Amino acid sequence: MAKHFQKKGRRILGWDLQDWIKGFFGTNATLSIVILLLICFYLIREAVMFFPSHHQGLTLYRQTGQEFVGHLIEEVDEHAKIVAMTDQAYYRELDEKFGNERGVSDSYEALLEPLEDAGEDFIDALDDEEEGAQEAWDTFATKTLSKVYKKEIDTFNRLDDDSWNALLASMKGWDPLEGDPPAFVEEARAKMKEGMASFELARAEVSAADDQLDSLRGKLVKIASVVREDAKAELTSAARKIALEQGIASTTDPDKKAELEEKLSEVKIMDSFPFAARSTPMAESKDAHKAAAADLKAKLTAGVAKLPAEFASQPAAELIERVRKKTPDVLEELDESVAEAARWRWDKPVGYFDSALQFFFGRDWVTNSSWHDFYGLLPLFTGSVLISCIALAIAVPFSVGAAIYVNRIATRLEQNIIKPVIEMVQAIPSVVLGIFGILVLGEGLREFSQVEALSWIPGFPMQERLNILNAGLLLALMAVPTIFTLCEDALNNVPRSFSEASLALGASRIQTVIKVILPTAISGIFAAILLGLGRVIGETMVVLLVAGNKIAMPDWGAGVGVVAQPTHTMTGIIAQEMGEVADGTLHWRALFLVGLVLFTISLCINVAAQRIIRRLSHL
Amino acid sequence: MNDPSTILESQDVAAPTSGTIIDIDDLSFSYDLGKTNTLRNISLDIPAGKVTAFIGPSGCGKSTLIRCLNRMNDLVDTAKVTSGKISIMGQDIHAPDVDAIELRKHVGMVFQKYNPFPKSIYENVAYGLRVQGIKKKSILDQAVEESLQKSALWSEVKDRLNTSALGLSGGQQQRLCIARTIAVKPQIVLMDEPCSALDPIATARIEELIAELQQDFTIVIVTHNMQQATRVSDRTAFFYLGELVEYDDTQAIFGNPSKKQTEDYVSGRFG
Repeated sequence: MAKHFQKKGRRILGWDLQDWIKGFFGTNATLSIVILLLICFYLIREAVMFFPSHHQGLTLYRQTGQEFVGHLIEEVDEHAKIVAMTDQAYYRELDEKFGNERGVSDSYEALLEPLEDAGEDFIDALDDEEEGAQEAWDTFATKTLSKVYKKEIDTFNRLDDDSWNALLASMKGWDPLEGDPPAFVEEARAKMKEGMASFELARAEVSAADDQLDSLRGKLVKIASVVREDAKAELTSAARKIALEQGIASTTDPDKKAELEEKLSEVKIMDSFPFAARSTPMAESKDAHKAAAADLKAKLTAGVAKLPAEFASQPAAELIERVRKKTPDVLEELDESVAEAARWRWDKPVGYFDSALQFFFGRDWVTNSSWHDFYGLLPLFTGSVLISCIALAIAVPFSVGAAIYVNRIATRLEQNIIKPVIEMVQAIPSVVLGIFGILVLGEGLREFSQVEALSWIPGFPMQERLNILNAGLLLALMAVPTIFTLCEDALNNVPRSFSEASLALGASRIQTVIKVILPTAISGIFAAILLGLGRVIGETMVVLLVAGNKIAMPDWGAGVGVVAQPTHTMTGIIAQEMGEVADGTLHWRALFLVGLVLFTISLCINVAAQRIIRRLSHL
Repeated sequence: MNDPSTILESQDVAAPTSGTIIDIDDLSFSYDLGKTNTLRNISLDIPAGKVTAFIGPSGCGKSTLIRCLNRMNDLVDTAKVTSGKISIMGQDIHAPDVDAIELRKHVGMVFQKYNPFPKSIYENVAYGLRVQGIKKKSILDQAVEESLQKSALWSEVKDRLNTSALGLSGGQQQRLCIARTIAVKPQIVLMDEPCSALDPIATARIEELIAELQQDFTIVIVTHNMQQATRVSDRTAFFYLGELVEYDDTQAIFGNPSKKQTEDYVSGRFG
C-alpha cells in the first residue's frame, strides 16, 4: 500500500485535471483530422459522380444529332468573329476618315426624336392641312432646335461647331410630312458612302459569306431541339415508370397499390427512343453541310481579299491585319470541323475517356441552356492561370525587392516602418479590395488607357473596366505580404557569417546580396513564391468582383493585349453558381469537380513549397 | 603617401617589408554612439612582415580592435570611433575619402568560425577576384591554384575543385577561407581566433601555415590560446577591459612581463 508518492488533487470520473486537459486537446486534434477527412471524402465522392452523368449527357447529345449541328454552330460563330473584327475596323476607319459626316448623319437621326415626338400635334395639324399649321410648326421647330444641346445629340462628339451650326440651319426648312433629310445631310451621307464604297462592299461580302451555312444551321437547330425535347421527355417517363413499379412492389396497402397501378397505366413509354429515325435529317445534311462550307470558304476568301490595303486609321489597319492572319486559321478549322461532322453517327458510342477529356479540355462552359449544357474546364482554368501569372509577375519583383531592401539595406527605422505596413495589407478584407478594384482601379485604369499617347501599349485603350489585368493587379497586392514575409525569413536564415566573409573580401553590399545572399536563399524565395501562387490561385472574392466573369477562351490574337479582356475563374464560378443549382444535378457535380481540381492544385503547390522549405532547413 | 588614391586603390601597392604598417594612435571606440567606450586610448604600432598576436581574457576588446582594422565594425549602425585614429600604410582609414570596400581588398580577414560560401571550392577562392570584375579564366585559374598552394590545400583538393566547399573537413574549410582571403593579395591578413573551432591537429596545420604566410603578408592574429601566441607570433599585445596593458616582443611578454596584470594572465592566474 503506497501511501506516499501518489498523485494529488481531486479526481473526476477517475481522471485528474491533467488527464482532462490532455483529453481536451487530444479530442480537438482528432476532431479536426476527422472533419478534414470527411470533407475530402465528400468532395471526392460528389466530384467523381460527375463523370457517369456527364457521359450520359454527351451520349444523348450525340444520339439526338445535336453534336452534328454543334459543328455548324461553332463554324458560324467562328465566322462571326471575323465579321465582328471587320465591322470594328470599318467603323474605326469611317470615324477617322468621315467622322464629321458620320456625326452629321447620326445627329440628324437624333434630332428627329425631339421634333417628331414633341411635335406630334403640329405634324397632325399639318397633315390635316389646318389653317396656320405651317406657321405653328415653324415656330415650334425653331424653338426646339434652339433648345437642343450639342452634347446630348452628338454624344460621341464627332462634329465640329461649324458643322453643328450648319446642321441646325439646314433643319430649319425640314418638312416633317415628307420626312426626307435635308440636302446637307444627304450630301454628308453621299460623301461617306462614296468614300467607303469599296470597303463597304468587301465588308458586306465577308459578312454574307456564311448565308448558306447559317440557314442550314437554323433549320437543323430547330429539328434537333425538338428531338432533344422528345428524347428527354421519354427518359423522364421511363424513370417515372421504374419509380412507380418500385413503389407498387414495396407497398402493402391495396388502395395505394391500385392508385399507383392506375398511374402506371397512364405512363406510356416506347421500347426504345427511335434515335435513328429522328436523327435522319441531320445524317442527310452531311452533303449540304459540305457544300455550304465550301461556299463560305470561297466567299470569305474573296471578301477578305477585297478588303482595302491602305487605311487612314492605325487601329483599323491592325484589325484588318488580324483578320487577314486569322482567316486561313478559321478556314483550316472549318475543314477539320466539316470532316469531323461527316464522321458523326448517332449510334457511335461515346468513350468514357473522351467524355472525361471533354471536361478537362472543353472550351465551353454553358449551363442552363435549352440546347445543351457544356462543362469545359479550360476557359476557367486559363482565366485562373492568366490572372495568377500576372499577379505573380507583378508581386514577385516587388516583394522580393522589398524583402532584400528591408533585410539587408534598410536602417532599423525603415525596417520598423516598412515591415508592419506591408504586413497590414494582409488585413484588408478581400471584398473591400474588390470594391476598390471596381470603383477606383478599374475606372482609373480605363481612363488611363484612353490617353492618346499610350495607345501603343497592347490592349490600350481598354474596352472593359473589369478585366484580367485589374484582377491581377489586386491579387498582386494580396500576394505581396505573403511573399514578402516568407522571403524575408529566407534571407534571415542566411548565416551572417556569409555576408561578413563577402564584405571582408572587398565586395560591396549589392555584390554580396546578388552573389552570396540570393543564391543561398534562393530555394526559400522560390518556396515563398509558390505559397504566394497558392494564395492567389485560391482567392475568390476579388476575382469574382473584378475579373469580369465572362466565360470564354481569351482571344490570343490580341497578343499581350489579352490582359485587357474579361475572364472567369475556377474559384469565381463555384462561388457564383453553387447557390443556384439543385443538389445532385450534373451542374452541381461539375462545380464539385472544379472544386476538386482547385483543391488538387493547391495541395500540390503547398506540398512542393513545404518540401523546398524542409530541404532548406537541412542546409 | 597621403593621397588615398595612390595607396588604397592600386592593387600593387608595395607593402613595406619592414617598419610600421599599422599605426594605431590613441584609439577609443564605442558600440553605442559614444555612451560607453569598448576600447580606450589604445596606441600600438604593428610591424610589417611580422606576426602580431592580440591576447587577453574574453571581453577585453581584442576582437573589436582587429575588426576596426578593416572597418568591419561599420556593419554595426551604432559603432563609432570616439577618439584617435588608425593609419594603415600611412593613410588614416577613417578619412572621409577612404572607401571601406577598397580598404578591405588590402586588409583581408579570416573569421573565428570557418565560413566558406555554399559554392564550389574553386568559386570560393575566385570570389574576391570576381567581385573585382576579373573574368578571365586564365587569371582566375592561376590565382586559385597559387592561393590553394600557399594555404597548403592544393594537393588535397586539386581533383575536386568543382565540388561543394561544404564537403571539406573543418580544418580544410578554414584553410580554404585563408586561401580565399590571400587570393586577392592583401598586404595584411587579420585572423580572428582562426583555430578556436578546430581540433588540435587541424590547429597545428593552420599554425604551420601562418609561419609560411608570414613571408608574404603582415599577420595580425587574435587568440585565446597563449601557447599559440608563443608559437606563432613575433610581437604580442595584452589587453584587459578595453585597454592595452602591455605590448612587446612575444618572448618578453611571456618570459619577462613588466606589468603585474600581464604576468598574472600569462601564468594562468586569471582569464
